[in-house]
Amino acid sequence: MRSFLNRFFCSFGVPGLLLASVVSHAAVDAEMDGMEVDSRDDGTFLVGGPTFYYDRILGAGGLHSESEMWSPEKLRQRLLFNRMSPLPSWNPLPPSVWVKTGNELGDLIYNDFITPEDRPSNRTPILEGGFRSPGFKGFWVTGRAFQDDHFSTATMVARKKMVDDEFALFGENYPLFSTMYAGFGYSAGTINASVLAGEEYVWIFSESSRWLPVHYRPRVETRIDVWNLETTVAYENADYQNHERKESGERREWSGSLRYRCGDACRRGMLQLSAGLAFRKVDDDGIVYTRLEGDRVILPFMELKFEPAKAFAARAMLAINDRDWLVQDSVEFRPAAPAKSGITLGVKNISGTRLNPLADTEEFFDGDTISLTADGQMNLVQGYASFTDTLGNLELGGRGSFWAEHGAETFDVDEYVVDEDLVYRHGDVDRINDWIKGVTGELWMSVWYQEMFAFKALGGFERIDGEEKRFEVTPAEFFASFTADWLLRKSFRISHSLRYRSDAKWNLRSRDPLTVKGDWFWDATFEQQFPLYGLYLTGTLLHVLGDEVIETPNGAHNRLRFVCTVRKTF
Amino acid sequence: MAKMKALILLVLSFAACALAQSESGEIVAADSVAFSKFYVSIEGGEKYPFGDLVDAVDNTLYVGIGARYAYWEDFDGIILFQYSYFEPHDKIPHVYGVHEASGKLGLDYRWRLISPIALGAGFICNWTRADFNDDGRPEFDTRGGTLTDNETEFGWFARLNLPIFTMDNYRAGLNVLWEQLWTLPERSNMLSVGLYIERRLW
Repeated sequence: MRSFLNRFFCSFGVPGLLLASVVSHAAVDAEMDGMEVDSRDDGTFLVGGPTFYYDRILGAGGLHSESEMWSPEKLRQRLLFNRMSPLPSWNPLPPSVWVKTGNELGDLIYNDFITPEDRPSNRTPILEGGFRSPGFKGFWVTGRAFQDDHFSTATMVARKKMVDDEFALFGENYPLFSTMYAGFGYSAGTINASVLAGEEYVWIFSESSRWLPVHYRPRVETRIDVWNLETTVAYENADYQNHERKESGERREWSGSLRYRCGDACRRGMLQLSAGLAFRKVDDDGIVYTRLEGDRVILPFMELKFEPAKAFAARAMLAINDRDWLVQDSVEFRPAAPAKSGITLGVKNISGTRLNPLADTEEFFDGDTISLTADGQMNLVQGYASFTDTLGNLELGGRGSFWAEHGAETFDVDEYVVDEDLVYRHGDVDRINDWIKGVTGELWMSVWYQEMFAFKALGGFERIDGEEKRFEVTPAEFFASFTADWLLRKSFRISHSLRYRSDAKWNLRSRDPLTVKGDWFWDATFEQQFPLYGLYLTGTLLHVLGDEVIETPNGAHNRLRFVCTVRKTF
Repeated sequence: MAKMKALILLVLSFAACALAQSESGEIVAADSVAFSKFYVSIEGGEKYPFGDLVDAVDNTLYVGIGARYAYWEDFDGIILFQYSYFEPHDKIPHVYGVHEASGKLGLDYRWRLISPIALGAGFICNWTRADFNDDGRPEFDTRGGTLTDNETEFGWFARLNLPIFTMDNYRAGLNVLWEQLWTLPERSNMLSVGLYIERRLW
């Protein structure tokens, strides 16, 4: 059910309402907050590492991945080049103390002594430790150090040459991010405030397909939520470098947002209104490989929901500034249906000059200037219908949609450059000024028994018709997934997910398209729970069954991994 | 074919979960029992490599400490920390041996039919590092090379907990444990047999 929820939230830009009863599942634990995409089962999710992946829900409409699209829901996510990323997350976690470790499975250990040839490459770990104190008169302190060394081996040799040290807080695996922060906050009533400061190493994936090492020293983030007003301000002093070429630069950046959220009283009204603005201001010195036109961007936005009756809802989000605009809107009709069932008919639209109006506008690569903006605009229209029906402990549902997109963002490649194992590209962001059409269908079935057991089977297909060779990614046509969550004797959790995804293809990041073969995957979480003591002992197996392949150009192998966590809540 | 077998095993294992739950559905939930009993132990014994691993390292002794706590009425939680020092089966230049620290977390099932024997299973995390001559440190891509840095690997174990005698708050017994580390190019299997002395704290 979570994936269905996500689909609704993501598709409409503003939270949609679900029709039917929701069977709450726990799900397989992500290896780290923000890596949930690796266990997603309802579309095309290709992971090159924690800081770069392609994530598109089947039925979302259009060709873009979800993380490429800016929305007000992502104001507190990180902007990594032109993607909004939940990771590395600076969200203060609930009061607790926790330790996490794990590894890509397949080190030699004692096999080292008897394996002189064809030795497997090194497997790399994951590390995290942190705490947040209970509140004392509303005040609390927190600290967290975390890095994900998975997905680092395949590109390590190339990346290593670009930096002058290990580029991580711990170890020598050149992880794609390594973060440490500490701070304090105040939470009481309608006030929630925090100040965090720390140091961070991040490898950012760019439009040219380069990995850019960025060292934030320091990074400071302040959040103040009072009543329905949310404020975020971040300061980053970012060092850029290419040690091999003796290049270096520095970017000092202020970014943040102000948002008024529709409150409880407002949400009961027929017309609901939220508004705010997001901003960035950069000051570049030396070579930083990207540029933000005018060194600043301010993006005011407004969200509307008009619901004159329970059967009808219209939603809209508009963000606009002097350079770009982005609109997401939908109209939904829910006709009367028998008890415990529901029907939804809807139309949604996304239009705009840019998927992410906050992102930098140019990338500099090997003497070339890559324009990250394209003339014109994109228009996506989608009509959809869904139904659910509940019979006792069984729920059945389905959804079908048709979509058409004109002006989809793509990349116009001038030239590919091969550098040992990696491939880069010259060119500019462009548009497919032609209609791309898609038709989708999904069916699901859920069964549950009290709190003990919940099972869901979900399957979907999508047929896309358009100039495929200009798609950045040709999404998978089929998926099937089976998820089950057990809570044995109210204190031992087993969550697992078995799923299949058909072939997907990267068309524009290398001369020959990279086909990511379809495969079966299985993930599972086992957890001893001691709710009375707030103690949770968790072990998670990820990417079992699936072949260990590279899922994104210039990415790394998605390997079988095990992660264990000990958490004590306060 | 291997994947099909794995899929069938998965289905069967989760069917077993359902059966386990229905048989004992009336048993009191964890929080009324959890940590109501707590035991600590010391343990020592020998570890035997199996399969191809017999050509890699020799049998060795191990020592360890452990904790066992009530989780459900018929299940105990177990935590074990063990140390051992392995010597290579064949001479590896400049490598004298390997330190291994092993942490294990799992559950013991006290099945009434075989009481007082308990069946256990869980996950392992092993840390290893070679004891080597720094002047002749092997290269990473030669035999012994990876172990000259910290190496960690996970796996699973199954065990038989065989109490021999119990007196007041003390118990002595035999621990027979099979472990498999998820290594490459082959999984690493070992059997350990050890004696333990356990004291009940509460």
